[in-house]
Amino acid sequence: MNQGFKYYLKIYLAIITQDIKSKMQYRMDFFISTLGMIATNLSGLISFWILFRSIPNIQGWDYHEMIFIYAFSLLAVTPVQLFFDNLWNINDKVLRGDFIVYCFRPLNIFFYYMSEVFDVKGLSQLIFGCLLLIYSWASLHIQITVVSILFLFVTLLGASLVMIGIMVLACSSAFWITNSTSVLVFMFKFKDYSKYPITIFNTVFRFIFSFLIPIGFIAFYPSEIFLRPKSTTILALASPVIGIAFFILAYFVWMYGARKYSGTGS
Amino acid sequence: MSIIEIENLEKTFKVLNRHEGLKGAVKDLFSHDYKYIKAVDKISMKINAGEIVGYLGPNGAGKSTTIKMMTGVLDPTSGHIKVNGNIPYKNRRINAQNIGVVFGQRTQLWWSLPVIESFKILKMIYQINDKTYKDNLELFDSLVKVSSLYSKPVRQMSLGQRTLCDILAAFLHDPKVIFLDEPTIGLDVSIKSKIRMLIKELNARKNTTVILTTHDMGDVEALCQRAVIIDKGKIIFDDQFESLKSMFGSYRTLKVSVDDMSEKNINDTIRIIESAFNQTKALTVNRSEDWIEIIVDQDKTALTDVLSFVINNIHVSDVKIEEVEAESIIRKIYEGGRTV
Repeated sequence: MNQGFKYYLKIYLAIITQDIKSKMQYRMDFFISTLGMIATNLSGLISFWILFRSIPNIQGWDYHEMIFIYAFSLLAVTPVQLFFDNLWNINDKVLRGDFIVYCFRPLNIFFYYMSEVFDVKGLSQLIFGCLLLIYSWASLHIQITVVSILFLFVTLLGASLVMIGIMVLACSSAFWITNSTSVLVFMFKFKDYSKYPITIFNTVFRFIFSFLIPIGFIAFYPSEIFLRPKSTTILALASPVIGIAFFILAYFVWMYGARKYSGTGS
Repeated sequence: MSIIEIENLEKTFKVLNRHEGLKGAVKDLFSHDYKYIKAVDKISMKINAGEIVGYLGPNGAGKSTTIKMMTGVLDPTSGHIKVNGNIPYKNRRINAQNIGVVFGQRTQLWWSLPVIESFKILKMIYQINDKTYKDNLELFDSLVKVSSLYSKPVRQMSLGQRTLCDILAAFLHDPKVIFLDEPTIGLDVSIKSKIRMLIKELNARKNTTVILTTHDMGDVEALCQRAVIIDKGKIIFDDQFESLKSMFGSYRTLKVSVDDMSEKNINDTIRIIESAFNQTKALTVNRSEDWIEIIVDQDKTALTDVLSFVINNIHVSDVKIEEVEAESIIRKIYEGGRTV
């Protein structure tokens, strides 16, 4: 049995391609949900814009810097929406006992479960985030160098992993409690706070958002590297490492729960 | 050569002792008062390659728990288990490569995809070579004429079509062992017989070992040479199906309802039927709720004789003929004091 990275990638691409194809058949659904996603993003941006019409800066962060953090957060949240959307179905699968079917294939259970759904709607958010990031990047006259682009990708990857980790942990709760959807909704709401500089919150929340529910690492800390290169904190530089570590933690908790659950559930 | 070996297999679940009422619920939150339930209690069996074994027992007897241990989903509390030379719970993925599972009515095909696309993905997952894949698809089509279904998304299929495709998907990678859990539940007679034929043919051609759990004695009769019965976690019967059949196979239940369901009329009716067949000792007549239940031993008298007598002599409003259920067989095994 040869199951390397290539093996999983091939299977993943095959499932995604088929899934997109079948979704395209429901054209109306596809267009409406894409429109909905664009509308959500637009309204978010507009309220942001209105806010900054009256307040030129928040604790030393000006409009374009805020847009940068906002865009960074949008991009960091995109992967969890694109590739991990099936975590919203976990409650149902676990309660109805359907989860067990994920244990019968010669595949990693986590991979098999998450590969089942690919959410195309997330793509509009990806485009939106890219445009905003380019706009703020240009307005702030941040230098474009090989290093800065490389940093951008590494920090974005780390930030996405933090977001994925948070949601996977919330998803794991399904293996222990019966109403895990509310946990998912609750945790998903936190991502909204990641759009703002952590420094605007008081010490208690700053601690929570840095170390307990680490949403500070979704956008603010990694953005510091680009916006405040001279006073970058150790937390900012550590953000990719924290992302990887947090994701691994979440993965193991999920796997532990899955094995434990499928043992007892019917 | 045995392909499945189970020795003194045991699975115990730890369950919290629940207390009643709101006060009890609060108490439960902090309680450490556990009880241990033996779902599977020191069972042993050997299954040979190519056998079709009916694994029977009432709900909660331990069937699913055993299957879960054989598929590597669940680890045993104690005892040994080997499937195809592997210890399933230690090598779940390697074990999964060699087995196929159809678990109740839960489809394992991709819900929104056409079946053929699911098959193609399975081809990648199990790394099936092109020739085997092509040959199997041809074989499937020659047996059940399914190729017209292939372009249909699973979600648009009827339960019967879906079950059929699920079974085919389980056989696609030529597994050595197939676990079928209640494959015919909720299906109509024609699709049931199609599925039975399919399983029988595939077993014969590929020498696949099949473990079948079911409540439908018809499935067992059509497919299994051997039956294993489990109850309360213990194996109470493991022998040729023929010997099980001799214990119940000749019995049928004839249920009759009459217009006048008064106590007196029913007792009279029961007496009439009993006295008519008194000498043969072929009948047991009882009242069960709204029916008069006549258990007929077909070795002693023909069911048709009883039926025609009933219709000619009694004002019957409805008639039903039923096979004896797995549950009553188990009761009979207990009453007969018969164990393995």
